[in-house]
Amino acid sequence: MSRSFYPFENFAPAPQQVSLLPFQFTHLFGQELLVNEAGEFLFAPEGTTRSLLEGAVDVRSNLYKDLKAKHIVYDETSSPLLDVLATKIRTKYDHLSGGTRLHIFVVTLRCEHSCHYCQVSRQTAAKGEFDMSQETADRSISLMLDSPSPHVTLELQGGEPLLAFDMIQYIVPKAKEEARIRDKGLDIVVTTNLACATDEMLTYFRDEEIRISTSLDGPAFLHNKNRPRPGNDSYERAIDGIERGRAILGHSNVAALMTTTAASLDHVEEIIDEYVRRDFHTIFLRPISPYGFALKTKDRTGYEMERFLEFYKQGLAHILNINRSGYRLAEIYSQILLSKILTPQGTGYVDLQSPAGGAWNVLVYNYNGDVFASDESRMLAEMQDWTFRLGNVHKDNRRSLFTSEAALKMFEVSCNQSLAGCSDCAFQSYCGADPIYHHATQGDMYGHRPTSGFCTRNMEVIKHLFSFIKEDNPETMKIFWSWLTGSPLPAKRGTCD
Amino acid sequence: MRLTTAGSARNIGEAIVGRITTQNLPDATRGQCIRFFAEGEAPVLNLAGYRAILSHADLATDYPVVDHLRESDHFRDGDVVVVERDGFVRSLYRSYERHHSLFVTERCSSNCLMCSQPPKDKDDVESLTKRNQELIRLMSPAPEYLTITGGEPTLLGDHLFELIDQLKTSLPNTELHMLTNGRTFAWPEYTRQFAAIEHPNLCLGVPLYSDCVGDHDYVVQAKGAFDQTVAGLHQAARNGIRVEVRVVLHRLTIPRLTRLVEYIYRNLSFVEHVALMGLEYVGYTPRNIAELWIDPFDYQAELERAVGYLAIRNMPVSIYNHQLCVLSRSLWPYAQKSISDWKNLYLPECERCAALEDCGGLFKWAVKKHSEHIHAL
Amino acid sequence: MIEEIHNQAPVQKASNLIQINHKLVSVEALLKTCYWFSRDFVCDITQDGLGQSIVDLKPKPGCRMALGDAREQFTAQAMDFALRERVTAKTSEVRDLLLAKAFSESGVLEEQPQGVFGDTLEEVKPDGMFKILSNS
Repeated sequence: MSRSFYPFENFAPAPQQVSLLPFQFTHLFGQELLVNEAGEFLFAPEGTTRSLLEGAVDVRSNLYKDLKAKHIVYDETSSPLLDVLATKIRTKYDHLSGGTRLHIFVVTLRCEHSCHYCQVSRQTAAKGEFDMSQETADRSISLMLDSPSPHVTLELQGGEPLLAFDMIQYIVPKAKEEARIRDKGLDIVVTTNLACATDEMLTYFRDEEIRISTSLDGPAFLHNKNRPRPGNDSYERAIDGIERGRAILGHSNVAALMTTTAASLDHVEEIIDEYVRRDFHTIFLRPISPYGFALKTKDRTGYEMERFLEFYKQGLAHILNINRSGYRLAEIYSQILLSKILTPQGTGYVDLQSPAGGAWNVLVYNYNGDVFASDESRMLAEMQDWTFRLGNVHKDNRRSLFTSEAALKMFEVSCNQSLAGCSDCAFQSYCGADPIYHHATQGDMYGHRPTSGFCTRNMEVIKHLFSFIKEDNPETMKIFWSWLTGSPLPAKRGTCD
Repeated sequence: MRLTTAGSARNIGEAIVGRITTQNLPDATRGQCIRFFAEGEAPVLNLAGYRAILSHADLATDYPVVDHLRESDHFRDGDVVVVERDGFVRSLYRSYERHHSLFVTERCSSNCLMCSQPPKDKDDVESLTKRNQELIRLMSPAPEYLTITGGEPTLLGDHLFELIDQLKTSLPNTELHMLTNGRTFAWPEYTRQFAAIEHPNLCLGVPLYSDCVGDHDYVVQAKGAFDQTVAGLHQAARNGIRVEVRVVLHRLTIPRLTRLVEYIYRNLSFVEHVALMGLEYVGYTPRNIAELWIDPFDYQAELERAVGYLAIRNMPVSIYNHQLCVLSRSLWPYAQKSISDWKNLYLPECERCAALEDCGGLFKWAVKKHSEHIHAL
Repeated sequence: MIEEIHNQAPVQKASNLIQINHKLVSVEALLKTCYWFSRDFVCDITQDGLGQSIVDLKPKPGCRMALGDAREQFTAQAMDFALRERVTAKTSEVRDLLLAKAFSESGVLEEQPQGVFGDTLEEVKPDGMFKILSNS
């Protein structure tokens, strides 16, 4: 009994009823960019959205096949496979599962630097006055491990945490023991300027498997200008600390972050070259922090953001050239956005999430036990702005922190899906919400998108990255993908991979 | 390499599975064996205890026998064969070969235009399951890899679970690769039962031919197949079952090949490997060749694009059944020497080729249809 | 900012005025457009009570857009917001369903497989495996 074959029309009848799945759209580079609910995008001809609404897309065309495969449309001839789309959406939110993962402990406010952009540190304080007490540390550790997350990261910060090294030595074994009892994974990182890091301290960090995150703002003249200290040798000490740190802890356990100031804006290539010279393989072109300054005029913010965007674009171009020459250097902000645009995975970067990372993904335990939704909200408190103080470790438990008025007010405006300006934005799934930033810069947690530096910056950077995606230069895309997959740079000549 | 032979059968009820032996074995060890007498060899008289006897020469006996055997130069000691009551003798397992498979049914729920093993609507599940249960007992030494194939293995229902469970116990170190259209896995209950066997080393090989429902369903000649396969892949992943996607490259799958791998990357990101297979001129393919044929030499650009897409995303990808001379050089690192021993040959041009050692050659039926661009390198 | 003016003929000539027909662009879509222009312009909206609005774009100090460009972009963006409204209207139900599925803990919202799964032999069996699976 031989079977028959049936013609194409049996399996692919022309659909009579085209239905839409949720999507956003915008105009980019002369085309329409459509983005589905899971962040997958499609470049389509101008007018595609209108055609879809009017039922005018040719159902036999490749465009229609693309729209269907990208979960933008479905029709009665087949299942919309909603479960598959739902799974993709869920994957994008994976970083939310488990609750707060990053816990920042401010072990002291004391610091010998007086960096222009820092609002918190106390240069002249006596030991004890602005240090975390053992009781506060105990309570903070306990609260940290109350987080449902099976794995938490403890970040030791300040001021300058090494000035309270004995408190670090108290906290580390306690945290490890309690994590062991509660069967949770624990990662520890110390954020330090390394200026007073002794070999003993570095050895301690190695033995306790603690990673180091330090500051490198650029070459000496810039770094020292940004970060004054007695002797004006912040840069030299940082470099020395980095080298000793690498020797003792291993290269991969010492990371560097930069802070961008007005002074940095003219020197992006020099900053990047400094990172290459110092054998770093990641760099984060962060925007100028708006916190702590008197509320800037709209013009000033706008102008500064424009200059930052030039800084970023020029920096990225320089970084790509460096990669092309065979030195792997990943720009972190671009990598995070590219991951959101190009991969199916969720990305847990607290400053670019919806719902916003405050409290959901990060909690800050100040030296006096005050709990804040983010590091920036702690800085606001230094200027007597308590808007984002959730509570205190000596009074509150996890539940009361998360149901505090401060938390609830913040949560209400933490989802960009429901914010004016964001709710219709094509880049919604790549961007985030930042109530703390908007409160600090605009006096309103909700934020006014058209004048928001957060919005301007992210829109411009996303558009800039889409220009590379659209151009699809093979060499550039291979570099981006080597960042995304953590693989080495491709060999320079002609292989397919 | 020969797979089958035949002769004149007597005293055979059900099919007999056994291990070839050319030696006079002690009584105690005869129980699993089939005594074979080669051409020119005179059968001995003490034949008690063997499962069957195979002989070229005429042999009068009351034991199960196939004599007047046609060819037998392919038999070796240890081969596992099945002797049918009509005198047909098929080799099931030859330990010295590189590739091994367990053939479980000719039934299939799809009817792919290029199927190399066209399905038959004949219920062979009981007989083949019995045969395979015995075969698994006799597979020695244990193979490193075993492909479960058909037809569509999931149509065995519970018998498939029994076979896999038996493999888990008898051949615990053998890696299983099961070729399936994946559609049955769309049933959550089925997939849960499958996963419950907890075989430690099993991967499904599931074909997907387009990112587009109509195109895929047309190639496999089954309405709803795409939806079921994709849903099935998801259920499998949800239950911790490893999966690989396979694509046969021909004129209906090449045009949207890059879109297909994009679809796999975004929707089936749990897939651990993508296998891109050359078309075999066997089974249904000759009948449908007008629709299917595209000279592999002519689709290298699309193939490079698709392989490149997966490679930079670190998704493992391999190319099977392609000759090196028709593949772009940049794709050579992905080409596997995959044509199994009994299927391959090389053309006269190949003899002078510098890459002969690394190339898999062609399928023996490729003599009738192959690229216009085969040439010595 | 929004005034009801009766019997006023629509003004078309002044370059800073834009006429909006609410059959094409809803009030909501118009307001969203004005929202985006509020960095550089004050948007005075006047409804004529006959289903139209006139928008008067008044540049703010530091405005960086030429008025001619602004009119063009305003109209285009208003049409875009109108399209987005229509997309949202058609997709809000399935979006709710998708999000419910995405965040559901159990398989409660999972879809049942559809169609024919077996070969003809399996399908004709009264107790075929797919029939059993359907009932489980």
